[in-house]
Amino acid sequence: MAVSAGRGMRDPLPVPLPDAGAPARPFPRRRAAWRRNRAYLAGLTPTAFLLALFFVGPAVWGVYTSFTNRALTGIDARNFRWVGLENYRYLLDDPDLPTVLFNSLVFVVGSAMLGQFVLGLAMALLLDHAEHRGYRLTPLVYAAVLLAWVNPTVVAGFQWVAMFDFYYGSMNRALGWVNLGPVNWLGEAPMLSVIVVNIWRGTAFAMLIFLGALRTIPTQIYEAARVDGAGAGRRFWDHTLPNLRHIAVLVLLSVTMSTFGTFVLIQTLTNGGPGLQTETIALYAYNTAFSSYEIGYGSTIAVLMLAINFVFAAAYLRVSRPKV
Amino acid sequence: MAATWIRRRGATGGMRVAPSSAVLPGDAAAAPRIEGARVAGDQARVARRRRGGGPVEWALVHLAFAAALLFFLAPFAWLVTAAFSARATAYIRWPSDPTLANFRYVFEEFAFGTALRNSIVISTATMVLTTLTVALAGYSLSRLEFRQKTWFSYGVLLLQTMPLSATMVPIYGLARELGLRNSYLGLILVHTAIELPFLTWLMKGFFDAVPRYLEEAAWIDGRSKLRTWWEILLPVARPGLGVAAGLSFLSAWAEVLMVIILVDRSEMATVPLTFYRAARGEGSYMEVRYELVAAMGVLYVLPVLALFFATRKLMVRGLMGTTRGI
Amino acid sequence: MARIEFDRLHKQFPGQPQPAVNDLSLEVADGELLVVLGPSGCGKTTALRMLAGLEDPDAGDIRLDGRSVVGLEPRDRDIALVFQQYALYPHLSARDNILYPLKVQKMPRAERLGRVQRVADQLGLGRLLDRKPGQLSGGEQQRVALGRAIVRQPKAFLMDEPLSNLDAKLRTHMRTEIKALVRELGTTTFFVTHDQAEAMTLADRIAVMSAGRLQQLGTPDEVYAHPANLFVAEFIGSPPMNLLPVAQEHGALVTATGWRLPMPAGLDGTNGDLTVGLRPEAIRLSREPVPDGQPAQVFLTEPLGSEVIVNVRLGGALLKVRTDPQVRPRPDDVVYLTADPAGVRVFDSATGASLVAPMPATAGAAA
Repeated sequence: MAVSAGRGMRDPLPVPLPDAGAPARPFPRRRAAWRRNRAYLAGLTPTAFLLALFFVGPAVWGVYTSFTNRALTGIDARNFRWVGLENYRYLLDDPDLPTVLFNSLVFVVGSAMLGQFVLGLAMALLLDHAEHRGYRLTPLVYAAVLLAWVNPTVVAGFQWVAMFDFYYGSMNRALGWVNLGPVNWLGEAPMLSVIVVNIWRGTAFAMLIFLGALRTIPTQIYEAARVDGAGAGRRFWDHTLPNLRHIAVLVLLSVTMSTFGTFVLIQTLTNGGPGLQTETIALYAYNTAFSSYEIGYGSTIAVLMLAINFVFAAAYLRVSRPKV
Repeated sequence: MAATWIRRRGATGGMRVAPSSAVLPGDAAAAPRIEGARVAGDQARVARRRRGGGPVEWALVHLAFAAALLFFLAPFAWLVTAAFSARATAYIRWPSDPTLANFRYVFEEFAFGTALRNSIVISTATMVLTTLTVALAGYSLSRLEFRQKTWFSYGVLLLQTMPLSATMVPIYGLARELGLRNSYLGLILVHTAIELPFLTWLMKGFFDAVPRYLEEAAWIDGRSKLRTWWEILLPVARPGLGVAAGLSFLSAWAEVLMVIILVDRSEMATVPLTFYRAARGEGSYMEVRYELVAAMGVLYVLPVLALFFATRKLMVRGLMGTTRGI
Repeated sequence: MARIEFDRLHKQFPGQPQPAVNDLSLEVADGELLVVLGPSGCGKTTALRMLAGLEDPDAGDIRLDGRSVVGLEPRDRDIALVFQQYALYPHLSARDNILYPLKVQKMPRAERLGRVQRVADQLGLGRLLDRKPGQLSGGEQQRVALGRAIVRQPKAFLMDEPLSNLDAKLRTHMRTEIKALVRELGTTTFFVTHDQAEAMTLADRIAVMSAGRLQQLGTPDEVYAHPANLFVAEFIGSPPMNLLPVAQEHGALVTATGWRLPMPAGLDGTNGDLTVGLRPEAIRLSREPVPDGQPAQVFLTEPLGSEVIVNVRLGGALLKVRTDPQVRPRPDDVVYLTADPAGVRVFDSATGASLVAPMPATAGAAA
């Protein structure tokens, strides 16, 4: 038995032992950490590679190209030049930019902030309430909202082109029942139309998140409030809404980001028109690059988009602080 | 035993919801409650006894229900009725002379068979590649222990919020340089990449809930880390893999933006691209024939909806994290 | 089978103020069952995980049969580990769980199945082999986990609180079973627990740890009878050792209440504050006055069937005295206490270290 610690009569144990020189065989911490983590780092490489190829690479490429006069075809496609800040200078003077930014703002505020957010919250409250009451139609309504969400975008666009048809469309038929209309939806109220469709498509996300959040509010809170004599309205204002506040900020940021990037839906419905009436920044970047063949300037617009989106994403990370 | 692994966290939002709330067997309590009439019906009996609403309230709620059903279902009612009509208009009308001919014309006039084959190949390959990649990455990210991990994880989340419409121009340029246009490989890789940020987080959430002693036991039993992942952790994370597989398939099946910019040869067209062109009347002298496009839409949407609603409990939890617009 | 050596092992987790394992040196002999005992957070599990290769030490060495294993992957160490939560693979049947390490070793199928059968018979698992872990009770899962460990015939068993998730009755039963099993197999076993009864019943030797440091290493009897310091004195034994501050007076130890206790040999000339430790059975209790007897008032009695623990008030302290079941003093009765001279332990109040040589036979070991 070579062991002495603890055996000794006068081993002053709770007090640290005096260090008798350097400990035997120090094991380098950094090498140990590397040994532990190298397999996991290897496991992340396929993902890192694909993300670099299709996210980081294009973003860098876009920033670089925004400093050139690169074109889609013709002589400037191969022999493009570095033009410095010229594209950005042009961007500031671009007469269409204020229109496009304003359209994006209206689209985001109308369909995401007012539409999906408010309707999503309303649907969540309605379904949660109806579920408590045990109404049988509840699952059907829930499924209907989800259906619109899972539906591929191109199909949604097509369905709503028909819905909005001036002569035969269901929207105008419905208005006809109450002696209104007909409205030339996509011609005279194009922004309202795309907003309606985007609300139709995106309400499910906000609704799902709010439904999930409503379930996390402990029922004891409501029971306690009832005992204290609070009516339904009081309970809603004092307990339901405050409990949803944090999640509401996140939902708002989420739907804002997803709506900001909306492209296919608008393209199928109006393709930005008539004129520039529904041309959001996403469509403007695309049309500049592919219809006007100016990839350099198109990239400049895309960089502006990324910058705006980054602000929202940073806010999202700040608020949500996801656990890593 | 599974139940003891589940760490349920409090309310979280948006992107964070799905990845952090793992769905493992026995996690029934955490699943959304409105799931099919049977469950709701059971709760209904209990709830109704507990506190019933008055007739006015009943009427108000059902008025709201009617409005919601009308708004959300009308476009589908039109799509389906139009698909079975010999000559459809934009109005929802029960087909006077129901026919299946439209579905045949779809194959004859739009090369729908080729598109279907392309879509199935691309979506399936994307599903397999994505599932494997995110299973590996999610596990690695869950177990990695070093300081820069936070930055990497936040970076991945940041990428998830990046609108594709902002990077499609460079992606187009890049794919052209790399010769990835008009090829299965290009579409598979790009569809995989699109889903990686979100699904990596999702899988990380699943693996966070798998206790470490399982893999430690396998290491001590003599397995390498890779084999342990394959033999022990993947089977345990099966529900998560199901969600990742389902979502990546659905996403690749529905994605059209990347196909628009990466494909210009008709033999490489996928179903969404074929539909997109048909709906816009591209490549046709006639005006858009609603009944044909509607029939194609039904053929296109049906598998998606069937898959989604068959697995909706899992999918809903997973999809809650989607934030990028298409 | 193997000899295990820890040589000045040191481990501190990043962000922690105290090291988890601090200068730990000990040796487990070939075939020995060593129980590492300590409260939660004392570093015992960290020591086990370093031995298994699941954590890396910052400094120091771990040797199996004289060969350093630091830096080796767990799979290259040929040791088996039974986890507190059993860590059964949930998607595999009990049989496949037990088979798993053999499959990894690429053992021929027939031989594998034969071995599993033997292990299953040994552990009484026969009809449970086709069930998944989810269909097994805690005790059955525990047996499967044991089976997975012993089927490999590894160099050593590592057990990390394997019984703590079982209910009290089953725990006592499995304790006996593990002891019999380890004895039968003769495999070196490193067993970690916070349960001192488990440690006492199972161990060939006990290593008591606290705050990352080894406090005492010895047989259960040694640790119980001669705690090396106040920590061990208080941690081992149920009820624990009675501790009283004393002063030295003319070759005797005197408590604040004037109780004169016999002074053990070898204490002459010690300075500083002293604490006396008396096991509950080292105090005799009588109803009549006796020479040197300390009068005290009974507070309450706790009959336990085979014995009675009498709580008596002495000054501000409460002493626990173990007596025969027939002795049932009433509360507020006055009793007279005397100490068994052989049972008096003395500690340095400042350092906590024991000041009494353990037993003449082993006194030299501490050089």
